Amino acid sequence: MYLQERVVENRLIGYPDQGIYKLVLYGQVAKSAKPGQFVHIQVSDTYDPLLRRPLSIAGIDQDREEVTIYYRVAGKGTDLLTRISVNEQVSALGPLGTGFTIPHTGELLLIAGGIGVFPLYSLIQVLSTAKVSVKLLWGGENQEFLESADFNYLKYLGVDYEVSTLDGSLGYQGLVTDLLEKELKTSKTPTGKEIKSARLLRAAACGPRGMLKAVTAICLKNDIPVEVSLEERMACGIGACLGCVCTVRGKDGNLKRKRVCKEGPVFDGEEVAWDAEV
Amino acid sequence: MQKFNGMQDFDFTTRLGDLILKNPVITSSGTYGFGEEYTDYCSPAYLGAITVKGITPLPRLGNPVPRLAETPSGLLNSVGLENPGLEDFLRSYLPKLSNLHTAVIVNISGFSLEDYALLASALQDYASPNNSTNITSNSSGIAALEVNISCPNIKHGGMAFGTNPKNAEEVIAVVRKNTNLPIIAKLSPNVTDIAEMAKAVESGGADIISLINTLLGMSIDIQTQKPILANKMGGLSGPAVRPVAVRMVYQVYQAVPLPIIGMGGLTTWQDAVEFMLAGASAVSVGTANFLNPLAPLEILSGLEEYCTQRGYNSIRKLVGLAHRTC
Ligand SMILES: Cc1cc2nc3c(=O)[nH]c(=O)nc-3n(C[C@H](O)[C@H](O)[C@H](O)COP(=O)(O)OP(=O)(O)OC[C@H]3O[C@@H](n4cnc5c(N)ncnc54)[C@H](O)[C@@H]3O)c2cc1C
Ligand SMILES: Cc1cc2nc3c(=O)[nH]c(=O)nc-3n(C[C@H](O)[C@H](O)[C@H](O)COP(=O)(O)O)c2cc1C
Repeated sequence: MYLQERVVENRLIGYPDQGIYKLVLYGQVAKSAKPGQFVHIQVSDTYDPLLRRPLSIAGIDQDREEVTIYYRVAGKGTDLLTRISVNEQVSALGPLGTGFTIPHTGELLLIAGGIGVFPLYSLIQVLSTAKVSVKLLWGGENQEFLESADFNYLKYLGVDYEVSTLDGSLGYQGLVTDLLEKELKTSKTPTGKEIKSARLLRAAACGPRGMLKAVTAICLKNDIPVEVSLEERMACGIGACLGCVCTVRGKDGNLKRKRVCKEGPVFDGEEVAWDAEV
Repeated sequence: MQKFNGMQDFDFTTRLGDLILKNPVITSSGTYGFGEEYTDYCSPAYLGAITVKGITPLPRLGNPVPRLAETPSGLLNSVGLENPGLEDFLRSYLPKLSNLHTAVIVNISGFSLEDYALLASALQDYASPNNSTNITSNSSGIAALEVNISCPNIKHGGMAFGTNPKNAEEVIAVVRKNTNLPIIAKLSPNVTDIAEMAKAVESGGADIISLINTLLGMSIDIQTQKPILANKMGGLSGPAVRPVAVRMVYQVYQAVPLPIIGMGGLTTWQDAVEFMLAGASAVSVGTANFLNPLAPLEILSGLEEYCTQRGYNSIRKLVGLAHRTC
């Protein structure tokens, strides 16, 4: 949908040099938004920058008709976004793309790298935690980053989590993929017997491509189906321009392209042709 | 979804030789998918025509990513003609296109003369029943072929067909031999003398000329010190190229009597007026769709208002006015 959404909140959260903002939009996006989908926002009134900016939906409040987005200032477009004031209207296309599968039973393991945690927030939010047990593994640069990316909100959501930082300032020192390996080991043999039935365990991940590739390899090795949310440079956001494709391997073994904005951004980790350079 | 309610007494009918469109606003190849993608935003039925993504005989994966880079007021793309190929286009896409209630222009691309011949003759079977008195969109099927001659010619060391007048004429002549559909020759701006190219495609048998395709460009990341596009080079589109496009439309209008579809950075109704004054009988919206999916509709109403304010009762009155000498 092509919409004008009203800005309810747009402010820096956490440490200023982390440059992470929380943006709340009031309008129609909330009505049909699903975890893993995104909105394509016009950040400039001029031709600089020319294109819209894709941002994930991190929170959905259907009653208040609000969606929450978190963004990190990465360049000109996101910088312009910080200057939009409360009560201003922004032009948004959305909700766009295909979101995460929402399990109704079993266990869901979430793996986030950096700001990849944002779309996972909305997934946690909509899950019925009474029926699905959720654990989030989240890796970031350091404590300042994790706190600035609304660590408090994660605690408020009340799910099981473990974090890692590169410098060890919070949680485990190392990579989130180390946490994942550990998690899968411990979950199989805490007191000798398997507490997690591999058949009911699923995973979903978002983060840098290298991390997602590693996460997929670890999950598949353990027979755990995994969904990954990918990022790519986008123009139209609705599947028309073929700018943002991802290479996948079809069931017939042949390489194919899928559009990150349309068939994605969430893909089955197993279908992604991680090493294809065509 | 936005509606377009034109005024009753304003005549939007656009004549491009035998191709008669209900209005002059078209959407450009590669920027409008196969028409379906935009239906939530803007009904293709309001448009004069839509042009589909370039089709090649066989399916193509296109280039690796990154395929896009933003430049000041512009966009570089190196999609590399990703498309489902002729067979799948006919089977999976064309039937749906016929339900969109607009004229369908099929853009064809090839890497040899044989490719163009094959595409033209295969698509001929799906021509919309055409007579030169009716608006084409009222019938299903293909209204016209747009021949993209900006593709590299494998036999000539990869040099684009569209950068050499002789090759360009040959391609159009081959298509002419294989189809009765109106032929739109789409010119590449990557040439020294656009008028010469226009004359070449005219002698080849083109009925209509569209221009411009993208300008070859490049962008380098100064942090990684590498080209941003995986393909290194790409085609520049968007507002940045508009003055080049307007100039070329102006020159082609003077060089040949064929009707012109103007495009290149056309984003607002004011831009559309500018292209028509330069000599375009119709205009095509490309990159602007990415910024604003309602752009084609806004352009239509802007054109109508501009004309009626000046007392023109038909859109055709605008065409070429910038060439008046007094
Ligand atoms: C589906 C999707 C969901 C997203 N969700 C979020 C989100 O929830 N929060 C958030 O903060 N960000 C998110 N992003 C990333 C965000 O869209 C970009 O950071 C933003 O577009 C950058 O715009 P800019 O003008 O600020 O920076 P630019 O000036 O455009 O870019 C800044 C730097 O990042 C590089 N860059 C830009 N885009 C990409 C890309 N797609 N891949 C690799 N490098 C790139 C540029 O080359 C440049 O070096 C998402 C991206 C996608 C595709
Ligand atoms: C992403 C993209 C894909 C394109 N694909 C094609 C194509 O397949 N065939 C073609 O003839 N032109 C193609 N073009 C060129 C456009 O149709 C148009 O000529 C050009 O972009 C200039 O117009 P604009 O500035 O309004 O976009 C493409 C352009 C873009 C931006």
